[in-house]
Amino acid sequence: MSVAEQSEWTGRDVTILEIERELAQLRSESMHLRTSMMTHLAWAPPEWQDAARETLAGLAELHPSRTILLFPQEGGRDALDADVALECYSLPEVERNVCSEVIELRLHGSLANSPVSVVLPLVLPDLPVFLRWRGRPAFGRPAFEQLVDVVDRLVVDSREWDDVLSCYPELVPYFERVAISDIVWGRTLRWRRTIAELWPAIREAAALHIRGPLPEATLLRGWLASRLGRHIALRHELAEHVELLGIDGHEVIAREERTSASDLLSNELDRFSRDEVYERAVAAAKA
Amino acid sequence: MLVIFGASGDLTRRKLFPALYALAMRHMLPERFAVLGTARSPMSTKEFRQAMEEAVREHGRVEFKQEIWDELVSATHYVPIEFEHDPGQDHLAEKLNELDKEHGTEGNRLYYLAVPPNAIAMLVREIGERRATDGWARLIVEKPFGRDLASARRLNEEIGRHFDENEIFRIDHYLGKETVQNMLALRFANGIFEPLWSRQYVDHVQITVAESIGIEGRAAFYEQAGASRDVFQNHLLQLVALTAMEPPIDFDADAIRNEKSKVLRATEVDAVVRGQYGRGYIEGKEVPGYREEEGVDPESMTETFVAAELRLDTWRWADTPFYVRTGKRLARRETTIAIQFKRVPQSLFAQSDGLRPNVLAIHVQPDEGVSLGIGAKVPGQGMTVRTVNMDFVYGGAFRTGLPEAYERLILDAMRGDPTLFTRADEIEEQWRIVDSIHARWAGQTSDFPNYDAGTWGPEAADELITRDRRSWRRH
Repeated sequence: MSVAEQSEWTGRDVTILEIERELAQLRSESMHLRTSMMTHLAWAPPEWQDAARETLAGLAELHPSRTILLFPQEGGRDALDADVALECYSLPEVERNVCSEVIELRLHGSLANSPVSVVLPLVLPDLPVFLRWRGRPAFGRPAFEQLVDVVDRLVVDSREWDDVLSCYPELVPYFERVAISDIVWGRTLRWRRTIAELWPAIREAAALHIRGPLPEATLLRGWLASRLGRHIALRHELAEHVELLGIDGHEVIAREERTSASDLLSNELDRFSRDEVYERAVAAAKA
Repeated sequence: MLVIFGASGDLTRRKLFPALYALAMRHMLPERFAVLGTARSPMSTKEFRQAMEEAVREHGRVEFKQEIWDELVSATHYVPIEFEHDPGQDHLAEKLNELDKEHGTEGNRLYYLAVPPNAIAMLVREIGERRATDGWARLIVEKPFGRDLASARRLNEEIGRHFDENEIFRIDHYLGKETVQNMLALRFANGIFEPLWSRQYVDHVQITVAESIGIEGRAAFYEQAGASRDVFQNHLLQLVALTAMEPPIDFDADAIRNEKSKVLRATEVDAVVRGQYGRGYIEGKEVPGYREEEGVDPESMTETFVAAELRLDTWRWADTPFYVRTGKRLARRETTIAIQFKRVPQSLFAQSDGLRPNVLAIHVQPDEGVSLGIGAKVPGQGMTVRTVNMDFVYGGAFRTGLPEAYERLILDAMRGDPTLFTRADEIEEQWRIVDSIHARWAGQTSDFPNYDAGTWGPEAADELITRDRRSWRRH
């Protein structure tokens, strides 16, 4: 599906009431259905804004939602700028379109430190709220701490972190506050499936050799260690994708799968409850 | 002739004249029509007209068109009077007779009392003693109508000496909202909902009337009223009545009001909590706590939040709690009636952690419309089920702007239709319920402030519902 129709509004230094009014106005100009499965928040510091928009481009068709992109703009005056769009997608074989709302909010000045009070009035009631946090989680910072407490699921991508090994331990305490997904965890799925099929031969596995990104290697080691309940040594060589995986000197061949950033995020938006296997893998990665 | 008492006030500027202008724009005002504004403020008709034009330009919901305004303003007049002095009232009566002749309004009077509560009884007496013998006379009375059951009864008696019940229009502007009226359409024009609308299928009902604004300079009023008198006693209990009422025998005003009144008579408070906001954040900006607001006692014990579990002792709603809450400086501006249906008796779908009980939500504001949460299969392999909201959005369905509540209500009062106004017995039942809350609070102390601005109220409000293994609707 592609965007069949798009209506937009832009406002500078606006209030939530103005945004609500403009959303209502955009809807009144469209005869199409609004269907919603969730509110999708994305927190994207300046260096992540383009990537956040690109990922969303392929997402709304699969997950009709209200999407709220939060772009913190540190410093400057306290103000809220907004771009509001109603994107309608044509449905195959019917005359109607389904519409989703995309709200881009630029949080200037101190608003970047209190995003929840901006976001809550715009969240769709009764539906889950997912937060895609771009870049390294700002552990302990007001924006991150506030948002974590009002969302149902936090989605991160540990490939976006510069210091994976110190970041995973910091993530662990948050498992008790919010369900967390890591897109890297999704990327390792085909490897985990393949390794699991080797059971029981891997019962006594002791060493893992991975040529690939550090986050994947770290999570796969943590996963195997936590499932087997034993220490697993990791030999890691850096590569852009996981190119090679060996257990105790035996190479493991996994079926090739290429998924887009939108698809990976989309998969995480279908999950609701805590993923205890993932949580244990992270905890073991920490160990 | 529409006679507005308190015409120099905020209500006239923000609501009444913009509503009159919108009616003029829609050609809904009578051909022979005039407005006489009156207040203590010394002002000429010319100055009043200028002020109202600015008000309409600033607060009107429809485009300003000079020719429409010119027509309305030519029938707009102002006379300053001291209400409590006979000469002033006599002067007003003379002016009305004069305008009757000028505009051909034949002695028909709609008196709008946009004045402080303590002025109402005196004004009604003065107006009543000078009622025109020709034409009809009707009275619109703004809330708050009394401050407890006893004072409301006294006021009803006082008004009743001069006006019949069918001439009294106690306004609760919530009833003029299209989405509130749509509750009647939803229930009684759709065969699918009414059979489910009972204790058999409904687990509980939640009604939220939340404001993100503070007291907006109304400290003198709010310190005396609090959330229980400002919103709970009127808007919130009217929403309860509309939600829970039995089908009326027809759409006659008394048939509907009879059913609402029965609900209110059957309503008791099972549990209640109160709160007062402290400092916090609204729309990203820090806002002061209630006790720091200008004009508020720094030790004030006035509640800015009320949550209650209501019990309706009726055949239809026995054992089905109505959880209601209202407050200021809450996380968002929202008025919603949510009917939460019972869960299915057995969950057949293992991968259904995204599935929630069906909720039919009537969104009064914002996002005016109705949404129904239903469980739907996620496309693809397996049988994963999750909740999806199907939305009926007013703006998208009907290609016309929603009229403001005051447009509807002023027009109804002109036509003599009291359906959307509150009857004396309803008002008294509402005060009986609020009095019972105040009786519970008497002698109790609260640790105010007990919630931060920008949140959903005090923790006690969560406890009120979680002890029943339920939770407030999300966000």
